[in-house]
Formats: sequence, C-alpha cells, structure tokens
Amino acid sequence: MKILEVDGLTKRYPSFLLDHVTFSLEQGRIMGFIGRNGAGKTTTLKSIFNLVHPDAGAIRMFGLGMETDEAEIKRRVGFAGGAVDFYKRKKIREIVSVTRSFYENWDDSEYRRYMDLFSIDENKTPSELSEGMRVKLSLTQSLSHHAELLILDEPTSGLDPVSRAEITDVFQYLKRQGVSILFSTHITSDLERCADDITYIAKGRLIASEEMEGFLRRSAAEGHGETLEEIMVWHEKERIL
Amino acid sequence: MKKLLIKEMRLTASPLSYIFLAAVLFTLVPGYPILMGAFFICMGIFQSFQNGREANDILYTALLPVRKSDVVRAKYAFTCMIQLIGFAATAGLTVLRMTVLSRVDPYVTNALMNPSPVFLAFELLIFAAFNLLFLGGYFRTAYGIGIPFLSFGIATFVIVGIAEALHHLPGLSFLNTTSGERLGLQLIVLALAAAVYAAVTFLSCRTSVGRFEKIDL
Repeated sequence: MKILEVDGLTKRYPSFLLDHVTFSLEQGRIMGFIGRNGAGKTTTLKSIFNLVHPDAGAIRMFGLGMETDEAEIKRRVGFAGGAVDFYKRKKIREIVSVTRSFYENWDDSEYRRYMDLFSIDENKTPSELSEGMRVKLSLTQSLSHHAELLILDEPTSGLDPVSRAEITDVFQYLKRQGVSILFSTHITSDLERCADDITYIAKGRLIASEEMEGFLRRSAAEGHGETLEEIMVWHEKERIL
Repeated sequence: MKKLLIKEMRLTASPLSYIFLAAVLFTLVPGYPILMGAFFICMGIFQSFQNGREANDILYTALLPVRKSDVVRAKYAFTCMIQLIGFAATAGLTVLRMTVLSRVDPYVTNALMNPSPVFLAFELLIFAAFNLLFLGGYFRTAYGIGIPFLSFGIATFVIVGIAEALHHLPGLSFLNTTSGERLGLQLIVLALAAAVYAAVTFLSCRTSVGRFEKIDL
C-alpha cells in the first residue's frame, strides 16, 4: 500500500528549479532521500508537508490530499526538519506540554522512553542543548504520537557515530511496527545501514527512485560505483566535467 | 482554535501584551490625547509578534496538526482577544468618567478628547487599522514586522489627529460631549465603528489566509 505519492512536484525559484520530481513510498519501508547540498531535498520534503507552496504536482499521503485533509494528514505524519529551533528560551517540558495537547494519540510512555534513550533533560531549554541533542529532541516529538509516516530532514546530521547508530536502530524498530520513513541525508553510510529504497535527486531532477539493492546492482553493472558514495560522486562529477 | 489560542498565550505571547493593557488608564489622564491608549495596547500585541519571530513560532505552529489557515486565524484571535479586553476596560473607565467623575475639575476644562462613545468608536478604528495594516502586512511574509508597524503607527497618528480636530469644527461639538446630550447619536457612531472593526478584521483575516497559503516557510 502506498503511504506517500509524489507526482510531478515542481517548484521554481529564481536560481533553482525542482523539476517534476516523482516517487512513492510503500507502508513499512525506509526510503533514503539523497543528493548533494542544494539538490532540492529540503524543498521536496517541505513541499510534501505543505510548508513550501509547489508550482505544480500532486502529493498524496494515505490517499489523502493536503488541500482537503491537512490536519488529518499532519496528525498521522511526524515531520522533523533537523534540530529543534523553536522557543529556544522556554523549558522543553513547557513546549512539549503544549505540543502534546494537539495530538489525541500522544503517548507519554513513548515520549519518556525516547527522552531516556536520548538522555534529554526536559527541564532544560533548547538553547542549552547541543545541535545533536536538539535533533534528538525533534525526533522524540515526532515519535511520540504514533506517526504512521515519518518525514525527516537530515535527522542524523550533527550526530556522533553512536547516536547515528542508535537512530538507525530506532528506524529499524519502527519499520517492524509498520511505520514508513522518508529521510534525507548526505551521510550515505546511514542509508546502507537501514534503507530499503533510495530516491536520488541532483540539481532538482530525479536521478533514481527504486529499491536500494536494485539501484546498487544496476549502478555497479553500469560502472557508476559499488557504494552509494561512489555512485553519487560519479553522477555529480559527470556534471562538473 | 481553542488549543491554538492557548498555545499563543503559553508559548508566543510576550508579557508586554498583557502589561500594556494598563494603557487603558490613559482614559483617566486629563489633558492627554487619550486615544493613544489604543496605540499602546497594539504596541503590546506587536511585542508578541516580535517574540514569535525570534522563537520561530510560525514554523512550529504550521507543523502542528492544524490547517495552515488556522495558523493565521489563531494570530487574529489572540490579537482580537487583547483588543477586546482593552476595549471592555476602556469602556468601563469611560462610563466612570461620564458619570461619577464628570464634575471633577481637570476633566471639566479638558480641551482634548473626552471619554465618550465617540472616543470608544475611534479606539475601535485604531484597532481596525492595526488588524488591517499590521496583521495584513505581516502575513505578506510571515516575517517582516517593521514596515507593517510603521504603517500602523502613521495611520494611528492620522486617526488621533482627526479625532482631536473633528469636535472643534462647527456643528460637531456633540462628538466630545460627556453630559449625555446627543448620546443616541454618539452610540450610533460607536455602532458604526464596531461594524467597521468587525468587517475590516474579517476581510484582513481572509486576505492574510490567502497570502499565508502561498508563503514558503
């Protein structure tokens, strides 16, 4: 069952074009969304969550569209755009107490579990946390309302290797619970650890969107490289040369 | 909407939005352009928008399970709540000055605007200007607050200037009377201003919803 369908997503900026990006994500799968800095990953993810207004294209989640079912979709999706950057001088406890009131399915035991796992003290303010800890706080909030789809922008950036491994383990656990995950990153080793599918964009255009294994096999056969890193370098270098 | 309003009060609102409500006490200051109280109340609301911008409040709210249009409506609801609290308190003090304090010396010789239903009408027009120029201007970008507030400031001084000048014109002195004479006419002016406030706020909110939908956060 398709949880997320992105069809012909287009967004024009004066010096950048996100050009008819199309891909879909099945239930219970982890999709890595890769591309260089500035390739259009954040624009795509923000467009999916209605934070950026696309010029063309259709986006559906759970078969629903944002234009008619925005609140329902947002209730079922967890979106984390990097580190928590809100109300940096307010206590985390205070921010979360407001956030939880918006989710009927907010699960305090899940919230405590992730706060303990990530060693976050809710009596601190976001300004007292490191960048990596604020990423974990953002993830914790997304994970505490039983989201069926997680859309995460660079969730492992700024994290130490142990924390990154913890988070990819959490992704695997969530996948077993039937949760679908779409996360952008340029740390290809994280994807090799947990992604089932890969969507790769370069300069706003879709290069590939398919099963990770098939993508690696095909790329190797075409001489583009054995690993994601090698494949990305091959594609991007072709453009430079 | 109730949850969003609570969110505005708990996370976004600056304490100054509440503290500046004390500006209603200008109603009791003799020889002072008392309409400036409305300006200071709006300045208190402006502080909450400044707070919100620093705290990245718009993005936080847009990520909550609410419609994007409700993010805008919540800002209007919070603004109207503060304005109407200020209006109710000012109305109470106006009644006090028109009755118990009407014969007190400094008020009897006041050359400037006296508290009356017409004064309350002009206060509503200042609030309407805030909702049109500041809120409407803010939601062009959901970020810029300087020019919208400057526009509102200029509009306020124009409104205050007109209000202070009108009752000196021949035949319009009834606009400033506190004796109860021509009270019916004054109340009609107030009712008209209330209708303008409601209509301007509604239209400004509708326009802001449309603008906000197109903004990239």
